[in-house]
This record gives sequence, structure tokens and C-alpha cells, in this order.
Amino acid sequence: MQPRQRRVGLDTALFVGVLLALLILVVLPLGMVILQGVFPQLSLGLWEGLFSHWPGVLEDPYFLEALTNTLMLGLAVSTLSLGLALPLAYARGLYQVPGAFWWDLLILIPFMLPPYVGAMAWTFTLQPGGYSSQLLGVSAQGLLFSFPGIVLVMSLHLFPLIYFALSRTLSAIGWRYVDAARVCGASMTESAWRIVLPLSLPAVVASLLMVFSLAIEEYGTPSILGRPSQFLVLVTRIEEKMAEWPIDLAGAAFLSSVLLLLALVAYALHHWINTHHSHASTLGKYGALSAMPLSPKAKTLVLLGFGLVTVCAVVLPLAAMLLTAFSQTLSGGLAWSNMGFRHFAVIVSNEGGALSALMTSWGLAGLTALIAGMLGVATAFIAVRSPWRSRVAVDALSGLPNAMPGMVLAVGLILLWNRSWWPFPIYGTSAVLLFAYVCLLLPYPVRYVSTALRQISINLDGAARVSGANSGQVLWYILTPMVAPHLLISMMLVFAIASRELVASVMLAPPGLSTVSTHIFNQFAQGSPNEGMALAVVAVGLSTALLVLLNQWAPSK
Amino acid sequence: MNLTTTRMLRRTLLAFGLTAVATTTLAQNSITVYTAGPAGLAKSLAQDFEASSGIKVNVFQATTGQVMARLEAERANPQADVLISASWDTAVDLKKRGDLLPYNSPNAVKVPSNLKDSHYVAQGAAALAIVWNPASGKTQPKDWKDLASSQYANALTMPDPSSSGSAFGLVSTLIATQDYGWTYFETLKANGIVVPGANAQALNPVMQGAKAAVMGAVDYIALEAKAKGEKIEVIYPTSGTVLEARPAMILKTARNVDGAQKFIDFMLSTQGQNLVAKTRMLPARTDIQALRPGWSDIKVLSVKELNEQERSATLAKFKTTMGLK
Repeated sequence: MQPRQRRVGLDTALFVGVLLALLILVVLPLGMVILQGVFPQLSLGLWEGLFSHWPGVLEDPYFLEALTNTLMLGLAVSTLSLGLALPLAYARGLYQVPGAFWWDLLILIPFMLPPYVGAMAWTFTLQPGGYSSQLLGVSAQGLLFSFPGIVLVMSLHLFPLIYFALSRTLSAIGWRYVDAARVCGASMTESAWRIVLPLSLPAVVASLLMVFSLAIEEYGTPSILGRPSQFLVLVTRIEEKMAEWPIDLAGAAFLSSVLLLLALVAYALHHWINTHHSHASTLGKYGALSAMPLSPKAKTLVLLGFGLVTVCAVVLPLAAMLLTAFSQTLSGGLAWSNMGFRHFAVIVSNEGGALSALMTSWGLAGLTALIAGMLGVATAFIAVRSPWRSRVAVDALSGLPNAMPGMVLAVGLILLWNRSWWPFPIYGTSAVLLFAYVCLLLPYPVRYVSTALRQISINLDGAARVSGANSGQVLWYILTPMVAPHLLISMMLVFAIASRELVASVMLAPPGLSTVSTHIFNQFAQGSPNEGMALAVVAVGLSTALLVLLNQWAPSK
Repeated sequence: MNLTTTRMLRRTLLAFGLTAVATTTLAQNSITVYTAGPAGLAKSLAQDFEASSGIKVNVFQATTGQVMARLEAERANPQADVLISASWDTAVDLKKRGDLLPYNSPNAVKVPSNLKDSHYVAQGAAALAIVWNPASGKTQPKDWKDLASSQYANALTMPDPSSSGSAFGLVSTLIATQDYGWTYFETLKANGIVVPGANAQALNPVMQGAKAAVMGAVDYIALEAKAKGEKIEVIYPTSGTVLEARPAMILKTARNVDGAQKFIDFMLSTQGQNLVAKTRMLPARTDIQALRPGWSDIKVLSVKELNEQERSATLAKFKTTMGLK
């Protein structure tokens, strides 16, 4: 009897700890946003006028249009991202792809770009007078500033989320089950359809959920590419309410609550699929990865696929960024006489504080990755393994920040922490930025790790427990090493995104502190796109180098 | 790895804690300034003020929209002492709401009376202009009217008046000007003008040549780009244009009123105004040499002050006229 009691005690401690962390980092700030959406005077500290501004918000003749556009965008981006990621992830997870590490690295790069920089890069490439019309004589303005154009640009930016989740899952599933099916007489297609697909479904669904939430929340691309053609989504409206005088915080908060609701519906769907189609496929020690060699013909095809996708998602936007960064002026165009290092010299001299901004961003991003990673593992463990029914709530909660526009979350954090009754100052220090990043990025490790945990047979925990391990030990010695590849890649994603986060940073940075993305944004806003791009290039280059170094230095599993 | 990680984490948290403590202790002899761009000006004003007064300046610099949103979200526990906005209307409204302290700086004597009030005073001003790309092959426009010609079909951009206070000033002035009115904007709409967002978004397509001209660009940004080598021309229309002054004000909730007043004095001093001039803005004081077409070179149309209802009605009419959502 005694060991059982001890187990419950520790489980409870872990559970309470995670719950407390989620309460402080997620529930309170999101709750403040929802409350602000209900009590319009909350920012003044007044609990008055319940619902009084809703008629005004709902009167907007374009509310329904924005809502349907948001849904369409989310669905289209999820579908296209899946289409891009599926074949690549399949090849990467189950076969020996030449240069796998480098392909992964290339595919990680879109994440290090602030979405608005990517959208600007595409604009500079495809608009009339842009790089493609200077080099090839063709421009594609009609496509770029349209719904398909927005979907394409956003999918090329978000598909890596599915690619990484799916390829890691597939490689954990390996060939054992397919081999078994084949022995029993199944054809290759049959085993793909009846073995690989159901086993990888949780990963597909979980990452689709993330892409959907991110697509309905993103501001940069719909704003830059959608405005010229008047393509309107909820986030565009939210941003207008936040930025146009007089500021309408309550309206913005209300519309954000609508986004949260959409994300919750998507989550319910994801949860339903997961509970009905979840299979444990890792029944023992993490085996030697059994990736198969590719036939020469297939190898060509796979490399071609990787090449094509990375050219579109990484090489083209990066090339446009480099061209812009090396051009002395935008109007000078692509002429040798117009090329030079002027904009880089400004950065290296740290004249405008670009280098300090870079160090700030890196420090915060590194810390965020550590904290979100640790909290993510613990949260995923509770969400998947704990016997409590409320684990579903934990799982749902930890994913919600994904659908919250950074700007509005920042307002929630201000409403929460900028109070004189806190005994210690949080607001006005870098800590509040850290809170914001961890909140916004916690969904990544939670989703990646919980998907991996679902595939690990509970019998492994049982075996450890029988041998006398408590739940902390099970988590630390058995499960964490097994989910390590998923955890690491999610922490890299967290680092990549945190190092370039813009909107929450603008709102929350203590006076005097600037981050890389606020710096780049400033250059764009002041009419120096070349300087902005130069800093973006430097930031992406250094972050990539850092990740490569970390990878070399990290003890190989 | 685990041990070192924990140690690193602990150290970093400690550093954050120390920063926090440092920030709060400094608060006694410091002021907090929230200001719209440009970043260089905010930084140099803060540095030079610190050097001359010994008062530390915490600067938060962003776009007007971001600054105002942060101010609004912080109202339960306001942080800023001084606010510098890029939109005159924000100052007018904040005064009406009773959020400002009156202050009449002794250095404001040389500021024209339409650029100051009992509660706010201009830091500097920008004029709205036509920015034209000579490589576009279209004839150089001289007046707003020229942009309505068929030559400029599908070759125009304009900053969005709902996000840019200055663009709004231009719209509200032109609709009340003879020979223009709403018909002018209907013609521009028929001419395929694009309203892509804030100033920079309207300027970029013209610099790269996707469009030929911006109608109503903030001039100092374009002048600065031109000075850096961009091949564009900044043209002040013959029938006149509007000025957008950047109001500086002291908030009622300021914690260091004395420091805030000293900052406004410094901003309006010869030294401060020369820093403003460096950005190619028009300094608020008429006796300071501008590095650009000055007070006497631009024909300025007077902007009618609108109340909040009139403003939102005009904006709504603009949106329907231009087919904006």
C-alpha cells in the first residue's frame, strides 16, 4: 500500500506545480483579455459596463466576412501545409535521406524570419519592378496580393511545424509494424494506409491544430499582402482597434476571445480524433532507428522534392532579403553599382544598438526555450499520463496561447502585472517579456512532447513503477530520454520564434530595451527597408550558426 | 548538462531580479518618455538631456498606434511622464479627457501659435507631399490634381488615414477645399489608387517602381530616404498641403512632473530643436534652421479641427468612397 500512497503524493505535487505555472503564465493573462472583452472599462481598473460595447463591435458590417475569411484562411493554410510537409516528412522519417541534418536546418529557417519580413521579401520579389521583373521580366502582383497568395506565403512559413512533428513520429514508429504486416501478406499501399497512417495520425492532427491556430492568429502576412486587395481577417480588425485612435482595447479583446473560441473548437476536434485513434507504437527501448535506404530512383525524386520546397520556402525569400540588404537603395535596383556593405556596416558599428538588440533577443529566447521546454514536458506528462479527468483541461489550456494575437496577450499581461499591489515589480522589467514568450510558445513543446508520449506504451511506466520508481523518476529517467528528439526540436522552434517575436515585444519591452524584431520593424517604418533587411539577414545567419554549433556540441543521443 | 543548465538559469534569473531592482531604484531621478518614431531622435534627445540635466530618461519608442495602445493598457497604473505622438488629434482628445497637465515652456516663445496649446506643444512638424519616382516614365506631378489624370491610372498609393493621423488631416482638408471635395477622391479611386497601410507601406512600392507616386507621404521620411540615395522626388503641391505637427505633452499621472517639464524645455531649446532638424523634420521653433524646405517654402492649408463624431463620419465616408473595409 505504501508505495502507492507515495506515488499519488508525488503525482499531486507535479500536478499542482504544473497547474500553478499554467495559472500564472496562461490562465491569468488570457483571463484578463477575456474580462477586458466583457468589461470595457477594465483597463481603467473599473468593473463596469458589462457587455456594453458588444453591440458596437457586432455592428461592424464586415464582422461576418472577417470571421469567414479567418476560417477559410486557417483551413486553406492547414491543408496546403500538410500537402507540403507530408511527402517530405514521410521520406525523412522512414528513409535515409542524404543530408538529412542540413535539410532539417534549411526547413527550420522560415521560423527564424518574422512573418512580416517574409511577406516583405515576397513583395520585393514579385511586385512590378521587383527582383523577378528585373531579372526575368515577370511579376506576379495579382497572385501575391490575393487569397491564394496569402495562403501560399503563410503555408511556406508554417509547414515546417507539421514536417518536424511528423518526421520525428514516423521515425519513432519505424518499419517494425509495416514489416509485420508485410509478413502477414499486406501490400505496400495497404500497410501504408492501415498501419502508418493510423499510427501517425495523432502527430498529423496535433500539428495541424497548431498550424490552424497560428494561421488565424498571424498578423504580418495578412496585413502586408491582404490590405491591397482588401482581404480582411479578424486579426486585421483587432490590430486596427489596437492601433487606430481612439484605441479600442475592449473591442480588440472581444475579437480575440472569438479567436480563442475558434481555437477551442479546433482543439475539441483534435481531442476527439486523438482519443479515438491513438495508438502506442513504442513498446520498448527506443530502438536503433531503422530508416531504410532509398533506391537511386527514389533518392532523386526525394531530393528533388526537398529541393523544390526549400527553394520556395527558404532560398527565394532569403535571396530577396540578401539582395535588399546588399542594395544601397531600393530604387537603384539590381545593378552592381548599387551593391555594397553600407547597411551591414551600420549594424556592426552598433550605432543604433543593433548588436545589443541581438544579444537581448538571444538571451531571452534561450531562457524561454529552457523554461518552456521543462514546463512543456511536465505539462505533456500530466496531459497524457495523469489519471485525473482534468488533464484534458490542462492539455487544452496549454494550447490556447497559440491562437492569441501577441498584441492582445501583451495587453492581458499589462492588465495583470501592471498593478501597484504586486509586492515585487514584474512589469517594467525583462521578466514580463519572458512571461509573454513562455506563454506564447508553451504550446510547441506541449504538443510535440504529448504526441510523442501518446506513442509510448504505458506498460513502460508500469514496468518502472513496479521496479520502485516514483512518477518524477519515470518522467526523468524513462520518458524524457525517449521524447528527447521531439523535445529538442520543439525547443529549437521556441528559440527561433522567441528570438524574432515582434508584437508582444513592442508592447512589453521595458523602456530602453529593444529586441531584434522591434529594431527591424523600426527601420521598415522609417522608410529604410534595406537596413531592416540587413539586420534580418544578420539575425537569421547568426541564429542558424548558433543552432548548428549547439547541434555539434550537444552530446549525440 | 542538467546541472549547468540549472546554474545558468539561476544566474540569469538573478540578473533579471537585479535589473528589476535597479530599474525601480533609478525611478527616483528619472523620467519615462513614450514617443513615436524616429528612433534616432528619441535616443539622441534622451542622451543629450541626460548629459545636461543629470535626469535619466527611459525611452519607449514605437509607432503612434503602439504607443497609444500601451498607454491605454497601462491606465490602471500609468508609467509614462511625457508623451510625444505623431498625431495632433491624440493631444486634443487627451486634453479633453483631462489626462494632461498644463505647461507653458519658456522655450516655446518662437513656436507658432497654431503649434502650441496650454497643455501641449509641437516638437516639430512634417508636411504631406507627393513622392514621385522619376524612373516611372510619368510626367512629374505638380499638384494633387495631376494625380487624378489617366496617366496615373494604377500607379498610385496613399497612406491609410485611419492609421495615419497626417493622412487624415489631408483628407479632411481636401474634401473642404474648392475644386477637390469628395469628387477628387472618387476620381483617385477610379484611377485605381491603392491604400496599403501606414506611410512606409505606401512608400516602398514607389521606391521599387511598382507604383509611380505616393499621394500624401510624410515628407521627412521620404527626404531622409532621398538623402540616403533613393532616386525619388519630394514635391509640395502648388495648391498647398497640410502640416502634421508632433505634439509633446505631460501626462496628469506623471510621477516626475519637474523632470518632465525640464525635458520639454530641453526639447524646445536650440540644442533640442537642432536634433529635431537633423531628422529632416521641420523644427517647431521658427528661428531654427531647417535642413529641408522650411516654413516659408511650403504653402500650408489650414486644417479644420473636427470633433470625434465628425472625424469618424469623415473616416467612414472615406472608406466607402475608396472601397475600403
